[in-house]
Amino acid sequence: MATAQAEKRAERGGGAVPRSVVPRPARRTPRRAHPERWVTVLALLLISVGFVLPFVWMLSTSLKTLDRTMEMPPRFLPDPVVPQNYLTVLQNPKLNFPLLTRNTLIVAVLSVVGTTLSSAIVAYGFAKIRFRGNGTLFGVLLATMMIPFPVIMVPLFGIFRWLGEHTPVPFLGTLTPLWLPAFFGSAFNIFLLRQFFLTIPAELSEAAQVDGCSDWGIFRRIVLPLARPALAVVALFTFMGSWNDFMGPLVFVQDPSQYTLALGLQTFQSQHGGTEWNLLMAASLLVILPVIVLFFMAQKTFIQGIATTGLK
Amino acid sequence: MRIVRALVLAALAAVAGYLLLFGGRTGAGPGRGRVVVRYWEKWTGKEAEQMMQIVDDFNNTVGKEKGIYVQYLSMSNVNQKTLVATAAGVPPDVAGLWDTQVAQFAAIDAVEPLDDLAARHGITADYYKPVYWEGCRYDGRLWALVSTPAAVALHYNKRLFLERAKELRAAGLDPDRPPRTLDELDRYATALDTFTELPGGKKQIARSGYLPMEPGWYLAYTGYWFGADLYDEKTGRLKLDDPKMVRAFEWVKNYSVRLGKDSMTEFRSGFGQFASSQNPFLVGTVAMEQQGPWMANYIENLKPSMNRWRFPKEKEKGLPLASRQANYEWGAAPFPAADPALGDVTVAPFDTLMIPKGARHKEEAFEFIAYVNRQDVSEKLNALHCKNSPLRKVSDAFLRSHPNPYIAVFERLATSPNARGVPPVPIWPEVADELGVAAQRVYLLEAEPAQALADAQKRLQEKLDEFRKRQRIRAGGERE
Amino acid sequence: MTRAERYRLANGLAFLSPWLVGFVVFLLVPVVLSFYYSFCDYSLLQAPAFIGGGNYRELAADPVFWKSLTNTLVYAAMALPAGLLVSLGLALLLNQRVPGQSVYRTIIFLPSLVPTVASAMLWLWLFNAKLGLINTLLETAPFRAAIGGLNGLLGLLRLPPLQTPIGWLTDPTWALPALALMSLWGVGHTVVIYLAGLQDVPRELYESAELDGAGAWRRLRNVTIPMISPVIFFNLIMAIIGTLQVFAVPYIMTGGGPARATYFFTMYLYDNAFTYLKMGYASAMAWIQLLLVLALTAVAFWSSKRWVHYQSK
Repeated sequence: MATAQAEKRAERGGGAVPRSVVPRPARRTPRRAHPERWVTVLALLLISVGFVLPFVWMLSTSLKTLDRTMEMPPRFLPDPVVPQNYLTVLQNPKLNFPLLTRNTLIVAVLSVVGTTLSSAIVAYGFAKIRFRGNGTLFGVLLATMMIPFPVIMVPLFGIFRWLGEHTPVPFLGTLTPLWLPAFFGSAFNIFLLRQFFLTIPAELSEAAQVDGCSDWGIFRRIVLPLARPALAVVALFTFMGSWNDFMGPLVFVQDPSQYTLALGLQTFQSQHGGTEWNLLMAASLLVILPVIVLFFMAQKTFIQGIATTGLK
Repeated sequence: MRIVRALVLAALAAVAGYLLLFGGRTGAGPGRGRVVVRYWEKWTGKEAEQMMQIVDDFNNTVGKEKGIYVQYLSMSNVNQKTLVATAAGVPPDVAGLWDTQVAQFAAIDAVEPLDDLAARHGITADYYKPVYWEGCRYDGRLWALVSTPAAVALHYNKRLFLERAKELRAAGLDPDRPPRTLDELDRYATALDTFTELPGGKKQIARSGYLPMEPGWYLAYTGYWFGADLYDEKTGRLKLDDPKMVRAFEWVKNYSVRLGKDSMTEFRSGFGQFASSQNPFLVGTVAMEQQGPWMANYIENLKPSMNRWRFPKEKEKGLPLASRQANYEWGAAPFPAADPALGDVTVAPFDTLMIPKGARHKEEAFEFIAYVNRQDVSEKLNALHCKNSPLRKVSDAFLRSHPNPYIAVFERLATSPNARGVPPVPIWPEVADELGVAAQRVYLLEAEPAQALADAQKRLQEKLDEFRKRQRIRAGGERE
Repeated sequence: MTRAERYRLANGLAFLSPWLVGFVVFLLVPVVLSFYYSFCDYSLLQAPAFIGGGNYRELAADPVFWKSLTNTLVYAAMALPAGLLVSLGLALLLNQRVPGQSVYRTIIFLPSLVPTVASAMLWLWLFNAKLGLINTLLETAPFRAAIGGLNGLLGLLRLPPLQTPIGWLTDPTWALPALALMSLWGVGHTVVIYLAGLQDVPRELYESAELDGAGAWRRLRNVTIPMISPVIFFNLIMAIIGTLQVFAVPYIMTGGGPARATYFFTMYLYDNAFTYLKMGYASAMAWIQLLLVLALTAVAFWSSKRWVHYQSK
């Protein structure tokens, strides 16, 4: 077993005493205490203000009249306050917010299901099955992450057109091109999950193998349950990604009845700067609100999930 | 906390589920039983609404008769979307693109030629003002028709002229009229500049009389006012480094030198956006601008007081144009040329309607384009947009009741022999971008005008030659 | 090949099959096609015509190509290390047990949820030379004093003084650093991944290090950094890929200006593809970009043997 150099270094200092036997130092030793923590709190507060300020500005812009949004110098407090902007956005017949949300949900849900499932299966193959060519294929996988989207976009078009002509399923002109590739794994998520699976001790699966468990069995009964938090991360990342994805819908969706939210936001932008910033900000806030709520609620699972879980 | 979390998540899930199941669906369009012509257009906001009136008119009259329904869709980056959709085999039937794309799209076969369809509808060269007709053609064929045309003119703020009457007179200039020569324009500009003194003794620009880079949309064509050609059609060579172009860019540079590059840049960063009431011309931080006739439309929508300077709008009814003009805080006049021998020089840009290659309803699409080009319809649309007419024949009513009191100026400019359009260069978008960058290098004092233009000429001539070479290879290959 | 080996191969490929299919259909075929296009004259609408290495020759002679490449590398040299360091710093702070921890975490992650159009607009305002928040702050007394001091120092070094107000997006010298600065606002994703890595460091290691008398800095250097080195590596790779493809924000904010100071590689690629309709030329650029990313990643992988430690095999 490869031991991290860190552990070696730490052990050198700690002498021969096994780690587990080292008594935990009392939680409130004077050295650990408070000046350090106060600095942390102060730093966090300051940074948070910096990070939140723009949102406050978004909120204030979303409550201004269009004219006031372009006031120079800009004012922080809206006057008059126009909460109707939100109604305007929700009821805008050109935008059809419920329809956009529905389209976005379809794409997001299918992408989440597809990516999580397929990426986990593939990641298991990469992490846990030692076969010839594994390393090479993994290198290929990493390389695919580096392919700029514009390169494959145009040929992709041709492929979807071809698929539409040669299968009974229509592709172009539907939302399918946006979620279908998700069912074939995404390189980033496969990479992420593989890194997790690598940290699951080999002894576990070896023991199961001895018990006559197949790889599929190990994957389903041991790895998948252990990786649940990690899968949650992939699901959340995917959900957020496809919720805000702009380039994909921009390229594959032409018909406004299939617009997603991120694309719909562009309706407020226009060529010569005639952007309705107040509505754009109101709509942006409406669009990110569910994601913010989701992240806030799931934040702990989310971060723990990225951390390797299970046995140490 | 747990309960709250569960509740919120449940609520989110419920909303999501509801939307997934019942979320707004589009009903069958009103185009039931009719051929639906999909029309993609660049405009948003007011201009889109105005075009939609024309579309509605069509759907209720000619469209109804002939079983055609036009579906208007506003979109940004319409040229790119049209192209991608065309490549994907799902193009719109009509695309509202820019004049800068005519040669480019035609050269790569992205649009359908319209000669036959136009001829059948009686739309020929003598139906149009020459500058627009030429702009719709490339390589001997017709690829587009005009929706709304324009001509660029000097727009000036009369109120600011009066405010600085003393300074203008001191410089030997008349505050009651716009400049007539380029030299005069420079002197007007200087007299109109104002500054605020900062505590440290530094001067900050408070208002500028004129800035070549505001809005700067026509910097690439500045040479036209100096008698330059950008392109020689006979030899197929660009003429970006023509001495007249260099003179034009020297003139641009002089403004940066006079005002100071840094203070000018700082001054400009205080400008509001074009389509807002904070537009620098509307708030009076820039006294003179190069703009098209649409300015009247934007002013009416964003700062109506500028169109009601002396008396209420109702009183304008029935007044002759010249007396109406007094009610506008701004005026429009031909932008003066460097060489007095060049009368009424202008660049005449326009918005086009084209039919992408592979459009499903070509004939029906052209029915709509032809409708927009009918004299009465074209005049209605262009009056709504405050623009001039693309057609040779212009009705008296159009001129008399046009919401733009300076319409005669634009009509005159558009018919002038010195009205110029986009050169028929198949890589024009690239040339225009490069010229824009050259102009930036010049006014940021990063390069001398001659150098910046020589660089642009070298790079783009190579690109153009390469483009031609490949077309030859392609033609050769296709013959085999 | 032994039977066991063959079994493992079949099994492995079975697990990889979803990706293998997707890879071939949605990546390999398009990439091969684009490789072919890079040797073609291709405008999307006409069939591609083979022209040999013409696109690559034209690229080599195109000053804008080199300019966009330089811009991208300079930007990456600023944004990449800064992003990795700042996000690590933030993660370390967010890993402390303080009241309201989850609120802070959410706040730091928020910006990565904002649609690009909205965040670009926001920063246009923040960076505005005349009225923006940043320059307004720089005009306050403490910052004025700091700039004065800095200028004194620059004077001693015979360097030109810092001119205020700074034209963040309008001055060609400042535009790239400004965009790099802005990129720090969106480090949420990276922070989250670091945080996860930090949670994975066994507490006992810190405790024994502490018993050993190691201060905060030594604990960071000798325990934290080595223990989360795989995470750093992961973030490094993602950052290489991300920064070399930077596109949307400068596209919306500066359009590449002033005077192409923020014209990035992907922007020129995109313009060639969709504004100038030179798909072949764009494909050649894409391939150069791909090779560049691969080369940098290969260097990272090669170096990783020296500094990345995995806990199990």
